[in-house]
Amino acid sequence: MEPSYTSNKFGFPHLQPPLMEAVAGKFAEMPQEILMDIFALLDTPDLVRAGSVCCSWNSAYTSIRSFGQYKWPQTPCLIYTSESASDNVAFIYSLEEKRTYKLTLPEPPIHRRYLIGSSNGWLVTADERSEMHLVNPITSEQISLPSVITIEHVSPILDENGAICKYRYSRHTADPVVGPPSTYSLSTLRDSFFHKALLFFTSVGSYIVVLIHNPFGQLSFARSGDEKWTWLPPHSHFEDCIYKDGLLYAVTLLGQIITFDLSGTVVTTKIIMDRKDTYGAERVYIVEDPFGDLLLVRRPEVSIKEAPAEQGHEHNVCASQATYESRSWRIAIYKVCAASGKLVQINDLDDHVLFLGHSQSLCLSAEEYPQVKPNHVYLTDDFKSVSLKCRLRRRLVIGMLNLETKIMDEFVSPRPWSNCMAPLLMILNPRKMDLAFHS
Amino acid sequence: MASAGSGDEKAAAAAMITLISSDNEKFEVTEATATLSQTIRHMIEDGCTDGGVPLPNVTSKILARVIEYCKKHATAAAGEEGSSSSFSDAAFLEVDRAFLEELEEFDDAFLEVDRATLFDLILAANYLDIKGLLNLTCQKVADSVKGKTPEQIREMYNIVNDLTPEEEAEIRRETQWAFE
Repeated sequence: MEPSYTSNKFGFPHLQPPLMEAVAGKFAEMPQEILMDIFALLDTPDLVRAGSVCCSWNSAYTSIRSFGQYKWPQTPCLIYTSESASDNVAFIYSLEEKRTYKLTLPEPPIHRRYLIGSSNGWLVTADERSEMHLVNPITSEQISLPSVITIEHVSPILDENGAICKYRYSRHTADPVVGPPSTYSLSTLRDSFFHKALLFFTSVGSYIVVLIHNPFGQLSFARSGDEKWTWLPPHSHFEDCIYKDGLLYAVTLLGQIITFDLSGTVVTTKIIMDRKDTYGAERVYIVEDPFGDLLLVRRPEVSIKEAPAEQGHEHNVCASQATYESRSWRIAIYKVCAASGKLVQINDLDDHVLFLGHSQSLCLSAEEYPQVKPNHVYLTDDFKSVSLKCRLRRRLVIGMLNLETKIMDEFVSPRPWSNCMAPLLMILNPRKMDLAFHS
Repeated sequence: MASAGSGDEKAAAAAMITLISSDNEKFEVTEATATLSQTIRHMIEDGCTDGGVPLPNVTSKILARVIEYCKKHATAAAGEEGSSSSFSDAAFLEVDRAFLEELEEFDDAFLEVDRATLFDLILAANYLDIKGLLNLTCQKVADSVKGKTPEQIREMYNIVNDLTPEEEAEIRRETQWAFE
């Protein structure tokens, strides 16, 4: 058969694809280094599928997963659980493919854990005993973090058999104790204790988990292999943190930015920006933009009454939706000038996109992630207590805010997640951690 | 050019490089075009391009296409250098933008090839170390497998599944979620 030639605007003759005989399995013989270059352009689900095409593609897939420093851009996904599935199931909604994946995760049941943070492909969860795990939903790897009773403010109360039956929770900071400690059952400590927990890789195979917890938003951390948490007094009112150039950068409600060098046996602390901004009911985030500059974002806590689902009156739902869409979303974004201690407000992000919520705050370039919208803020709910929000019948604040029009759009409609379990934004990471190293 | 001295003509002649394909076809290209390839750039720096550069891994059909790409992008690179040294006038920026758009259009048209050619272009870009062309062609393959099942990918690229049923079951066991 004669191939038909055509030519396009630039005068290239080209074959009408595809002529199977001509390809003759060449793509199976693609050199591994090139296959890895190609795979580095794929989002995780596509990467996993490409890895099962043939032996050669599988070995490129395996290599790319084990290369510690191989960096590839992954479009954030939403992870959530639902009453409609079994307790061990988590769902991932891919913003790239606009579809859902269903994953089965190891015990304890993911649906009964609180998702207290996510970063670098790892979720941090708090189970029904208020104990924390790291879990990578893609590889199903799970690591138990040091017990909550090793944190400065929590001590165990034992029953007559010597088993832990309750927790004693002390509300102190570096200053003397304020009032008597309170007592919590194993499952209720997590309602008031945790704010946010993030994992950061410090070098190949090593990580730290940083926990922002109450009272007063204090910091504790655990390195890989640690058996207990280390408290970081005396500062408090922390809201968010990132790990950049070997330092932990943490931001407080007042707008202070404090760095911690956690690499040595002695932690060195430095206040790089000292501010005492006034604040309301809001969340503060610290973000590194693609140029390596720091942004500080203030997001007022928003409370919108949700129409009770069981009554199901249509006008109620509509009213709630309308309130939601017509709200003014006063999110303030500032560029941090640490040297002068100044914050410069910026009104648009140009080509950049912010991801804010109960996970690591991200600022990405939309050019690199074609499925996300430039000059938008992707928000997930970050209310202090999701369980409380559910009891109060408040609508979860989740969506994409267009900074130009100030209009908030849904990621997906109708919302596939229940109102009780706010989804978290997360970057998928198919790379396996060497668990033997950490056990 | 005609008014320029013979010295300039010599320089212009010296700046031409002969590339020789695996099937012995000769291609005369400017140094600016040839040096988009890091491999050739190093050969020029080492002074071993007299008598032509033999490229035993690249056929004339593919080399012709690669040269098309390099010519267009060498002009683009020259244009960029020119504009950055001059003052940035709005009109200049407009011209730049139009040129970038044209370059993008060129790239899209350039990629309208059958899969065998795409494969050969990737190998050539890799061998000649032309970063832009390698990125462009790899992205094309990456885009083509997005959202596809392994079966669809095999069919598209005519790849024989040489994984044993046991290996395939093992892969699926670990990552069943991606296949549902």
